Amino acid sequence: MKDERQLARKTATALEEPVDRARELAIRLGLDPYPVNYWIVDHDEMNELIAYGGFQRRYPHWRWGMAYDRQQKQDQFGMGKAFEIVNNDNPSHAFLQESNSMADQKAVITHVEAHADFFANNAWFGLYSDRGEVGEPDAAAMLERHAGAIDDYMNDPEIDRTEVERIIDAVLCLEDTIDQHRTLTDERGDDDRDLDDIADRLDDLGLSEDVRQHVFTDEWLDSREDGLEDPSLENPELDLLAYLRDHGMAYDDDRDKAVERESWATDVVDRLREEAYYFAAQKMTKVMNEGWAAYWESLMMGDERFAGDDEFLTYADHQARVLGSPGLNPYKLGKQLWEHVENTANRAEVVDRLLRIEGVTWRNFHDAIDFEAVEAALEPDPLVAGLTANDLDELTARVEAGDERFDPEGVAAAQAGEVDLDRYPWFALTYEGLAERHYSLAKRQYRRFVESISREALERRARYMFDDDRYASIEAALEDIPYTAGWETMRDVRESHNDITFIDSFLTPEFVDSNNYFTYEYSQAAGEYRVASVDAADVKKKLLLQFTNFGKPTIAVYDGNFDNRGELLLGHQYNGVALDEGQAKAVLERVFELWGRPVNLMTVRVEYDDHELEVARRRRQEPEGTEVGVRLRYDGESVTEHDLPPGLTEAIEATDVDYDTKPDDWLA
Amino acid sequence: MGLREDLERFKDVGETRRQDLSEFISYGDLGGSNPDRVQIPIKIVDLPEFAYDKRSMGGVGQGQGGKPEPGQPVGPPEPGDGDEDGEPGEEGADHEYYEMDPEEFAEALDDELGLDLEPKGKRVIEEIEGDFTDITRTGPRGTLDFETLFKRGLKRKLAMDFDEDYVREGLKVDGATPRDVYEWARSQNIPVSMSWIETAAQEIPADELGTWESFEAVEANLDREPTIRRLRREGLKEIPFRRQDERFRYPEIIEKKQKNVVVVNIRDVSGSMRETKRELVERTLTPLDWYLTGKYDNAEFHYIAHDAEAWEVERSEFFGIRSGGGTRISSAYELAAEILESYPFNEWNRYVFAAGDSENSSNDTTDAVIPLMEEIDANLHAYVETQPGGAAINATHAEELERHFGGGDNVAVTRVSDPEDVMDAIYSILSTEASDDE
Repeated sequence: MKDERQLARKTATALEEPVDRARELAIRLGLDPYPVNYWIVDHDEMNELIAYGGFQRRYPHWRWGMAYDRQQKQDQFGMGKAFEIVNNDNPSHAFLQESNSMADQKAVITHVEAHADFFANNAWFGLYSDRGEVGEPDAAAMLERHAGAIDDYMNDPEIDRTEVERIIDAVLCLEDTIDQHRTLTDERGDDDRDLDDIADRLDDLGLSEDVRQHVFTDEWLDSREDGLEDPSLENPELDLLAYLRDHGMAYDDDRDKAVERESWATDVVDRLREEAYYFAAQKMTKVMNEGWAAYWESLMMGDERFAGDDEFLTYADHQARVLGSPGLNPYKLGKQLWEHVENTANRAEVVDRLLRIEGVTWRNFHDAIDFEAVEAALEPDPLVAGLTANDLDELTARVEAGDERFDPEGVAAAQAGEVDLDRYPWFALTYEGLAERHYSLAKRQYRRFVESISREALERRARYMFDDDRYASIEAALEDIPYTAGWETMRDVRESHNDITFIDSFLTPEFVDSNNYFTYEYSQAAGEYRVASVDAADVKKKLLLQFTNFGKPTIAVYDGNFDNRGELLLGHQYNGVALDEGQAKAVLERVFELWGRPVNLMTVRVEYDDHELEVARRRRQEPEGTEVGVRLRYDGESVTEHDLPPGLTEAIEATDVDYDTKPDDWLA
Repeated sequence: MGLREDLERFKDVGETRRQDLSEFISYGDLGGSNPDRVQIPIKIVDLPEFAYDKRSMGGVGQGQGGKPEPGQPVGPPEPGDGDEDGEPGEEGADHEYYEMDPEEFAEALDDELGLDLEPKGKRVIEEIEGDFTDITRTGPRGTLDFETLFKRGLKRKLAMDFDEDYVREGLKVDGATPRDVYEWARSQNIPVSMSWIETAAQEIPADELGTWESFEAVEANLDREPTIRRLRREGLKEIPFRRQDERFRYPEIIEKKQKNVVVVNIRDVSGSMRETKRELVERTLTPLDWYLTGKYDNAEFHYIAHDAEAWEVERSEFFGIRSGGGTRISSAYELAAEILESYPFNEWNRYVFAAGDSENSSNDTTDAVIPLMEEIDANLHAYVETQPGGAAINATHAEELERHFGGGDNVAVTRVSDPEDVMDAIYSILSTEASDDE
């Protein structure tokens, strides 16, 4: 026991400097993170934290046990090593495993600082951080309170423990059926501050009409205003958990009827709903947030050599594993998108200047410009790019000359021998200096990025450009290029976007093309998944499907008194993608636990008749199928199926969306 | 700690949340076990949620080295694709597996099928030591049953205890001799000895002699204090431990018949046994192996592959082999008979399971296989016919067996044409034996 504590203390001491330095570097790079408390934990504590979703205490539930069991097993086989846990809180709490190598620790620390910046500055996180002292989250305390309260119910001799578990299970099945674009308290009408906010913010985002129509419909905006109204076919309620909390009952087996729910049960629903809202912010910004952290981690660890020379290989290996895992990897997609944002913003500045060179127009741009000269002009100042401890005299001279890229205090500290510039060269640089040092378009892998701009994009930029013969040469045009443009745009984007708007705005055809993204679909005829499209619009559409509403179908309350019998009518807002009906039926059984009376779900299913399948098979085509509305009803005993009248089918059907990216001739 | 409890709870819940057993047998991954250590991974069904149909949803992938062509097949989507569970740092959620040992599996399968096959104990008799529940008067000190010693001591003390003050008052009766007092005390059921009274008589102060006129006066004026109250007041002080009270624990000796089973699995590996048939055989025979492993103390398995010839193989190869030759099922039974010679039927339960597509060389079934099956003593012979998409004309082996044995005689014949039939086949095989037991 004593030895273990000593190990933790030793680890902590060794990490003090990296922690301090990482924060200084993060701030110098323009980040503005919440303060972070770092905790050194042993291996088992780390597994516990992972099982609890990053927190130290949660309500009793078998799911945590399952996660813990999995974590232990993965451990045994050396898989799934935990690299970082940080939670959205002010101050944020991050956990470092004492047995990790120094390279891993540093990677975690830099990664964590970037997450803490995202938590503090992203508006969607802001939606859920309105409960702490001064507009800040107090997540750990909230979860701890909930843990205590639910634990008390479980141990209350008056309450059947399995009943509590049943309620929890039921709510967990529905944790994504909330209205994540609203704040937690909106539906009670006591928080109307951000309605205009949201509308404004949506305008600011400059989203494509597509996304506005599909995600942020006018109905959606309207529904924010009248959150208190009863749900109806025209105005369904998205926050199913709130609705069940307020209007649900309990089914009494003995008396064979619905009775008022006990207050503890309503309290459990309310608490778990609050947790769902808290975690929603993370789910909504996963790609952005992970990409953001991966971007800054890579810059600090790799480019800025925060990893020592001896640690660099370990780090490179670590990074390759995180970014290289197969499938659609949020770290990788996010990082690539951020790099694209950076490059595009930087290029815009460059191109705008190049277009203002005498004789250069969007038509002759690719011929008239000498891109090697552009490259040379964008090259950072050699001293900024490669300063070492030997450059102290030159650095002092630059500071005295008022060169803003050099930090007078840092240079003075280096003069006084307080800082080793060979280890921490960035100490001598300001934000401007660092931006130039890491200027993306000067990096080898992006050298051709300026040149690769399309003529359409050039034309768009040139269209409203006046004063277009300002410069005589490339050198003159690029002399005052703002090296900070990329980072500034990135910080703006991280403030206002979530994954959907982020992907919608920045997943350009150029991006899809250069990263070999594709969509796949299941072929009924071939009985397997096939590559369906490499078209950027298709890829974006598919990605948006995966991120809209957490990648889950949207389910809303359409009627709380269906058929005038107090039955609940839910609707799956059908967007052309079918529901997993097996799971849906199982969920309905859980909804019954919270409603106490029969529950109904409307959905649309694609049916294929045998004749059509046969014809399609012979012609080697995909069968079309027919969309049919169905109502599933669970009455406490069994699920039955009913036809859905056309009126109701229309109410849940979106006619103007199509997520299918199959080409017509893909089996040929 | 909370998590330990959550883990315990998960293990309990895991019981009830595991994938339906018949679904697992028909469609699950059976590959995770071997006969030495059978661990049966059964998917744990996590809480359901409203989700898209995976196939209808499609997805996005990233080409490795170049742009893929539309129409090109891609593997099944990887877990972790897209936004699954949302916490940063969390890897894509895989399914959790619940591991069953064979005993548990056999029990669960019995539940599922409504069977309760009681394995026959064969003649091998063994003595094993049971719990230390028997008791003897001698034994090593380490097995001394102190509780018994204490209880017996306590009983002894209670039996010997008496109200000493009361007897002393008797000695103060005018003119009473120790013998008088002894007789009086004994008449009162006081367990006092003569020698105690004689000693006590010496100690009565002279001026107290004659305090009472008679024994009647003592009785009228004083109450005897019951032993219990005195013990409460004075405490136990000491318990007399006597050698004759010592008892030693001894393990109970249980005579047990060991339940042995030998299973011969026979599979047709000839050219006509294609992939689908092969898989159906594996799905049917593997759970039977597990089941019997779970039911018996000691299970041995033999695997025979055959085309026109038969040869014994390892389990790991058994389901994968494919040969080109024709089919002569009797070759396998000849080999089975040879193998079973080392497992006398009076000591071993024997099962012979054969599977194939019912195609056999002409007359082999009636001329050779049926006589061999009758000759080989076994609890159960079974033939599993796998004919996805209907039987071929020359596939008559199963039919001929049925005609001959007519469903009785410890012979089960069953047909599996797709995974849905597997459970029925297993049921009809196991229930054939169960019904013969009665």
